[in-house]
Amino acid sequence: MAKDPTRSAPEERLVNLVVALMATEQGLTKDTILTSVSGYREQSEAGAKKDALEKMFERDKENLRALGVPIETIGDYADPDDLREARYRVPTAEYELPADIDFTPAELAVLNLAGGVWSESSMSADARGGLRKIRALGNEVDAPIIGYSPRINLREPAFTPLQRAIEQGRVAEFEYLKGGDDTAHTRRIQPLALLEYEGRWHVYGFDLIQDAERTFLLSRIVSDVRPTRETFDLALRDGAGDKALRGLQDVAARQRALVEVAPGTEAALRLHRRAIPADQGIHVPYVDVHIFADELASYGPEVRVVEPAQLRDEVIARLERTLAVHGGAA
Amino acid sequence: MSAKPLLATDRAALILQLVPYLIGKGEVSVAEAADAFEVTPEQMREMVEKLTVIGLPGDGGFWQMANDLFDIDWDLLDEQGIISITNSVGLERTPRLTAREAAALLAGLQLAASLPGVGDSGVVQGLLAKLARGASAAPADVIVAPDAVDDVRVRVAEALRHGVAVSFTYHAPDHEPTTRTVDPVKVHIAGGQWYLQGWCHLREAMRTFHLERVSDVRLTDIPIAHGSDAVPDLFEPSETDAVAEVRYRATIATLLADFLDRATVTGDGEFRDARLRVADERSLKRLAARHGGDVEILAPESARRAAAAWAEAGLAQYR
Repeated sequence: MAKDPTRSAPEERLVNLVVALMATEQGLTKDTILTSVSGYREQSEAGAKKDALEKMFERDKENLRALGVPIETIGDYADPDDLREARYRVPTAEYELPADIDFTPAELAVLNLAGGVWSESSMSADARGGLRKIRALGNEVDAPIIGYSPRINLREPAFTPLQRAIEQGRVAEFEYLKGGDDTAHTRRIQPLALLEYEGRWHVYGFDLIQDAERTFLLSRIVSDVRPTRETFDLALRDGAGDKALRGLQDVAARQRALVEVAPGTEAALRLHRRAIPADQGIHVPYVDVHIFADELASYGPEVRVVEPAQLRDEVIARLERTLAVHGGAA
Repeated sequence: MSAKPLLATDRAALILQLVPYLIGKGEVSVAEAADAFEVTPEQMREMVEKLTVIGLPGDGGFWQMANDLFDIDWDLLDEQGIISITNSVGLERTPRLTAREAAALLAGLQLAASLPGVGDSGVVQGLLAKLARGASAAPADVIVAPDAVDDVRVRVAEALRHGVAVSFTYHAPDHEPTTRTVDPVKVHIAGGQWYLQGWCHLREAMRTFHLERVSDVRLTDIPIAHGSDAVPDLFEPSETDAVAEVRYRATIATLLADFLDRATVTGDGEFRDARLRVADERSLKRLAARHGGDVEILAPESARRAAAAWAEAGLAQYR
């Protein structure tokens, strides 16, 4: 391979840096790194500008941290602005999977199933990467769990940027089309958790414009998600997922529609499973009036909404629009 | 197999995982390692070759000594395509999971926990704790809401476990209910919906059953005869299916994703046209009404008329 001897592939430099930072107890200064770690050293010797090399080192550090490599800075505390004498290291205990973590054969079989749920979404590569690390521990695995093919659908492009914003504790903005509205409005939130509920993805967070906790449907985010420079306290995330889940469950427990269904139909079959019998008709819990109206409209004449009025109106509006685009009444 | 180009950081992440993998294996073929890392054999060979120029920093300005670098058995690689590390200078232990890797597995576990026989085994609780402890940073909460396990799901799981056929009443929309006896092969869970795929004794073929349309399940004592037959994809259409044409508002494409996966889509304006095979054209009226005005059935004409009549009959109840 003919190539410039001073320029090695960036991944070589990154891994060299990890090896060097793990091999040191007391840490290496930036100068030592730039003049001794392969990948920087060759460029230093070839007379590369120190500025450029330092920038490269900063970038490498950020990239490695994003990979989960815990690079520790042992600073010069006398002058916090002066990082020249700062030393860097990777503490082995924080880099390596704790030695006492082992997986039983049964656990590995369940993990293999769990890692396969993501189909082709962005989470799939992460799940497989995690599995690969765990398999490298070399534990025995039980026979695969057959007979099940669990899948989580994840098609919303908003998911990945929101997940990153949660990890970094960053305020995010997006345009949100509320159910039933014609125009989208800007939302500015501290995103705290992502939640799949009844097959739909939601983001739960603190809405800085409404000044309240809110849950948003990812499918109604109509713009790119824009992370901002504004950060928030990561402790806000503690227990956020459970809170979000309880929130939706509370809504479902509170909101009940009274509907009448024609016996022996698809509507009867599907709705009776979640229904509570009423004197006349059935009570069905729901979370979002628009999503439930979509479902009820699909049943056409198989279901009649008694109350609430808003749900009834939404169903009627869907049926009227359906009739109109298909040429009106026969 | 992923053929997409990897970024330098991705390649670095793979090398960090590769060392403990290779050390754990002792000797492993390029093909097997490539498979495990989802790269091509050429990419794997290149990664391994790169590894041999990686090592500890040179001391006091000297070049690195041979034993400061990773090394492999070159003869073994060249002659037999087998990778074996002969000198390692660190990275022997598996790195921690990244926050995102942990989040992806934790969420998958929540779904796995809803399967009869998995969630109640106590395995999941232990795993949740281990994954949380094995992550390099706190993962973002990604919650998959648990779904109530009903009697139908439990019975089907039992039939799978015991290798016997199940019998049940199946009520497909717009059809009369039928009694089916089915050799269960696989339970698919997608978007919170459960489907059973199996050999239907009545139709003498593989069929897919939506479990919400199943009732009166009981286990038979008929051993499974078609348990190892190939199952088709969940929504795979057959040649006998009718061809439908549907116009939809482009903004609702994500909501129709399962449906559009099988479709040929044309147009690029506010509305798009999709053409696909559907198992039962009678289901189209339900799709149209669900998306009230954002979905228009263009063909077949009978389905278009049915959609109008469906909406009309629904509205008549409110007059």
